[in-house]
Amino acid sequence: MVLVLALGDLHIPHRAPDLPAKFKSMLVPGKIQHIICTGSLCIKEIHDYLKSLCPDLHITRGEYDEDARYPETKTVTIGQFKLGLCHGHQVVPWGDLDSLAMLQRQLDVDILVTGHTHQFKAYKHEGGVVINPGSATGAYSSITYDVNPSFVLMDIDGLRVVVYVYELIDGEVKVDKIDFKKTATMHG
Amino acid sequence: MRKKVKAVPEWLNSPIWSTPPPATAPADPFGTEFSRPLAPPPEPPPSVPPPPTYEQAVGSYTGRERETREEEGAGAALRAHLLADFKSALSKKTVNMGELRRLACLGVPDGGNDIRPLVWKLLLGYLPTERSLWPYELEKKRSQYSAYKDEFLLNPSEKLRRIEESKLSRKKELNGEKHGLLPRLEVTNEEHPLSSGKSSLWNKYFQESEILEQIDRDVKRTHPDISFFSAKSNQESLRRILIIYSRLNPSVRYVQGMNEVLAPLFYVLSNDPDESNSASAEADTFFCFVELISGFKNNYCKHLDNSRVGIRSTLSKLSQLLKKHDEELWRHMEVITKVYPQYYAFRWITLLLTMEFSFNVCIHIWDAILGDPEGPPDTLLRICCAMLILVRKRLLVGDFTANIQLLQHYPQTNIDHLLHIANRLRGTVAS
Repeated sequence: MVLVLALGDLHIPHRAPDLPAKFKSMLVPGKIQHIICTGSLCIKEIHDYLKSLCPDLHITRGEYDEDARYPETKTVTIGQFKLGLCHGHQVVPWGDLDSLAMLQRQLDVDILVTGHTHQFKAYKHEGGVVINPGSATGAYSSITYDVNPSFVLMDIDGLRVVVYVYELIDGEVKVDKIDFKKTATMHG
Repeated sequence: MRKKVKAVPEWLNSPIWSTPPPATAPADPFGTEFSRPLAPPPEPPPSVPPPPTYEQAVGSYTGRERETREEEGAGAALRAHLLADFKSALSKKTVNMGELRRLACLGVPDGGNDIRPLVWKLLLGYLPTERSLWPYELEKKRSQYSAYKDEFLLNPSEKLRRIEESKLSRKKELNGEKHGLLPRLEVTNEEHPLSSGKSSLWNKYFQESEILEQIDRDVKRTHPDISFFSAKSNQESLRRILIIYSRLNPSVRYVQGMNEVLAPLFYVLSNDPDESNSASAEADTFFCFVELISGFKNNYCKHLDNSRVGIRSTLSKLSQLLKKHDEELWRHMEVITKVYPQYYAFRWITLLLTMEFSFNVCIHIWDAILGDPEGPPDTLLRICCAMLILVRKRLLVGDFTANIQLLQHYPQTNIDHLLHIANRLRGTVAS
């Protein structure tokens, strides 16, 4: 039972002052084992805040990140799953599922986590699963202003992943979950 | 002018009870050896036939190092006799508990490590006296323990998965579609990992993680000198027992030190020569542990500390017991040197003397604690009182520091002495 927090596109301080209070009150240290962040934090203070939640932090570079040292892509192995991380602005057209599938095959991972569109998505194709945790602050994206704050918490248990999607809709936190298992044919 | 103190019974003053003071102690410059008026010893009310006196049971004693072959021979013969008595008591169709308790108070003799698991299980009421019921009872209890394991040891992930699997009437193929957005299911009852809902499995899990960590740490450092406890599987067993106990008893949960009380029980029951018993030692130990702790539960409840039944009240009972039997020592300890029981006896009582004596000696003392018909709590108090009386000569000349030092590092003594004195105090613990 490994809990992995996936979030990104906070755009603090340029487009949003902080995480929503209801999200912040839920995110306490001690529960989460890993954090993967798609990028665009944008400042060091947010990096430190995430580090305080969990020491195992993985970040990839978003367009507006002030720290230029984050890598463009990253792969992490957690339990039986290989996770890939990339901000997504590099993949054109933005948010296009076929192009993302190509990136996933390139990285050779079971789950690809990307952002940039600020829209939550969980999509399955032959190569694996693509998850976009959306924007944790609800910051406007390059495409739209209509963004609900959201992030994702994955519970990796053996060959099974339960993805909990946390969204802030009309001031209330709504939680959904998605269940899927890894099979041998997931990525050929 | 000295107040007249209550006379010390003659048997207390007998030289054979005293332990030799350390060699480096300076000769007492003030010659404070008072002579006491002799008075007839008080007769303890005989609620059970008093066990044979020390001399009868093991042969006369003039000093451990000077035990002669003759006496050893006599002692060995008596021990063999005792073992035979035990075996015959245990082989009856209906075990006579009075008889068993009488024998247990003498201690399971040195050849009897094989019978000790059975003796303890009977004394703790885990096994009924009716021999024919044993297989049924064991089966029942062991399967109950399995059920406990399933209920209390799974993490929320696994638990939720099992609940879902039992709910799905038809096997939904999770990987049916090759492409497409994954279906989203709403989370009900706030059952998600970051939940702060009172009924959430996740929330409860995280709240208890601190206790789990504490149990983990304590189990790892239980008796590091004994190889039995370094074995991973044994540590896992101890861990599981303590976790399940803490979940079943929310009023007490886990208190540091319970691992020490659990250790001798698990050790003895695991070393049962009967394979079927030693394999189920974990389940058996759990129930024995519950039974043993139940008498002492109030000592572990923080909110009962200052009440009529908590640890403070137990410590004051010890005080009263000492005052009753040895007022002079009591006065010296509590009034003059202010060495209150909470400084030394706290550990004696909450850990059931497991830290005061070596492991094997401790198991021997537990034979008496578990066997005595007065019950473990009162017997323990009597033994603690006896521990004080046994070193009274050194305590009476010691100041606060010396006495605390002595009592917190209780010197090696002859256990049969100790149990004999404790036995003499029978029937005097205030309830």
